Amino acid sequence: MSEESTTLGSIHISPNAVASIAYHATLQSYGVVGLAARNLAEGLAHSITREPTRGVSVRFDGEKLDIDVYVIVEFGTRVASVASSVANAVRYQVEKTVGLKVHEVNVHVQGLRVSNPD
Amino acid sequence: MSIDPKKIEERQRQHFKSGKIDGQDLKRLVEAGMTWLKTNQQTVNALNVFPVPDGDTGTNMMLTMTSAWNEAANLGTTHAGELIGAVAQGALMGARGNSGVILSQLWRGFARALHAREFVDGAALAAAFTEAKITAYKGVVRPVEGTILTVSKDIATEAEVALADTQDPVEILRRCVAAADASVQRTPDLLPVLKQAGVVDSGGKGLYFIIEGMLRYIDGLPLDAPVMSVQPLSAMNLENAMEEVEEGQDWEVVVDFIPQSMLDLPAFYTRLEDMGTSIQVGEGDGMYRMHIHTPLEKRYEPIDYIMELGTITKVAMENLLAQMDEIDRKARSAKIELTAIEPGQIAVVVVSPGRGLSRIFASLGVAGIVEGGQTMNPSTRDILDAFENLPTDRVIILPNNKNIIFSAEQAKEVTVKQVEIIPTRTIPQGLAAMLHLDPNGEVSAIAEKMRKAVAQVKTGEITIATRTVEIDGVGVREGQVIGLLDGKLVIASDSLEAACLSLLNKTEAENFELITLYYGEDLSHAEANRIADLVRKNYPALEVEVQDGGQPHYQFILSIE
Repeated sequence: MSEESTTLGSIHISPNAVASIAYHATLQSYGVVGLAARNLAEGLAHSITREPTRGVSVRFDGEKLDIDVYVIVEFGTRVASVASSVANAVRYQVEKTVGLKVHEVNVHVQGLRVSNPD
Repeated sequence: MSIDPKKIEERQRQHFKSGKIDGQDLKRLVEAGMTWLKTNQQTVNALNVFPVPDGDTGTNMMLTMTSAWNEAANLGTTHAGELIGAVAQGALMGARGNSGVILSQLWRGFARALHAREFVDGAALAAAFTEAKITAYKGVVRPVEGTILTVSKDIATEAEVALADTQDPVEILRRCVAAADASVQRTPDLLPVLKQAGVVDSGGKGLYFIIEGMLRYIDGLPLDAPVMSVQPLSAMNLENAMEEVEEGQDWEVVVDFIPQSMLDLPAFYTRLEDMGTSIQVGEGDGMYRMHIHTPLEKRYEPIDYIMELGTITKVAMENLLAQMDEIDRKARSAKIELTAIEPGQIAVVVVSPGRGLSRIFASLGVAGIVEGGQTMNPSTRDILDAFENLPTDRVIILPNNKNIIFSAEQAKEVTVKQVEIIPTRTIPQGLAAMLHLDPNGEVSAIAEKMRKAVAQVKTGEITIATRTVEIDGVGVREGQVIGLLDGKLVIASDSLEAACLSLLNKTEAENFELITLYYGEDLSHAEANRIADLVRKNYPALEVEVQDGGQPHYQFILSIE
């Protein structure tokens, strides 16, 4: 997807690589207890391939880079705050490591995990 | 009947002596934690050296705490559990950023543990710290150590340990504050990013301020001191303020002034905070000194502002980036490891003009190094300082320059130690002398050996002529490369290579065994190597070595032995 030409040749960065970065950035954000597959089919595909991009989708239309992450959040945290924290972390990590401007990061909270009901 | 707020506060503080903390006490503790964090907010923000995704940690945590406090502020309950429940609720609603969310989780765990408690005693406090930690850790798949999480863990651990010694919640809190401080200091060891940036974890530091604020309140210490402080002028340590340069705050501005009327400090600080950070104000004899770090474009604003307030007596400005480079450089040169001297051994002190040479001297077992050389002669004091504190009475000094021998002799006059001076006039002479050091030998015998060694080495020096002159029968034009042999001008040439070769020719180098080239700070390693290869070609029978000398002004110092 992303291409850059240098005097030596060109560099291609695949959406999968970007997804992988986003995946790890998300997992490291506080309040996120996991990522969720968007749908059953995707969940099946990922459990077969074991790619570390479950719950992340990356779109690049040649100009704009959009990232969607699907997360499970710890019950009892402020969901909006965790989500914005995730969006920031993903944007920061991707922009820092890939050097691409991220247009949009959409965080979908797919569910909450209740670890200790009180 | 009169109401004295001081007395009321004092009476409230007495509560903590009972070993039981009720809801209203807790409320005041939360307020104290918030206030102290607010006071130190800029300190915490400053730890965000890199543009980390969650923005200003200090501000985020402070807003979270404010929200927590607002929820509890109007509660009149003395039930500890109820009160802290409200605090947790407020923290949850107001959580901002990563650190804010973690903070709210800490409060949540804290509240859960105290839920049914009317009072908080030592055991309950320890249990609450533990529950807070557990709740915070649960909120993340992969807890990263070296963050606020680690600090909360260390607080909980210390609370449990302290509980074995005391039931007093205040004592437990006191020990937790100390543990938190130590834990914050350790964060760079756990998280490499922090170490690289040379900071401690900001979230952890924020948490430390919150519980330290609580303890300060109990101890009756002021909670708003640092921000509004005016210190005696003599106590202003501006060097230390340097260490926390934030990105974008590139200029240091220091203004001395005499205000026309009483200085309204809070307003003064508020205005300055718009302009920059690291604000300090000092006062002495009606004169004030203001210190601030500002971005490039705002560097004149503090001056314009203070001009309105009174008479400015002095303004100093410094480019911090350049200053930081200087500090870096010094720190690097300070890293040279000197030989540790055991009591009674012979300590050798040398004068060295360059970092590379210092390193070589250090590797030969030198105990003290004085920076100096041709154009920067060290004082007697400098030389004295290098050996006065060494745990031995037996000292040998190698001045390594003819202009420094006299200072060294002065140092010998002043000290009560037994000092021998080997009058080395050049670096190679000093190095040759060092090879005969035996730290456990007899001083005068070793000095004798060193003197002999000095006579056996020839020294060549290559530098650029600073003026047109004719000495010793050699005519020199300004800007030419000149060669000195044992301090005497012998050749002048237009190129570095030719100068080296003809200098060696004059020395009759073919009669010696080893040539060592110490290249100066103006030359690159590659360039030095190129010239060394040339020398090797001309003197195939000799061994030729290249060393980074780092000395200023002299492109090469040659040792021929």
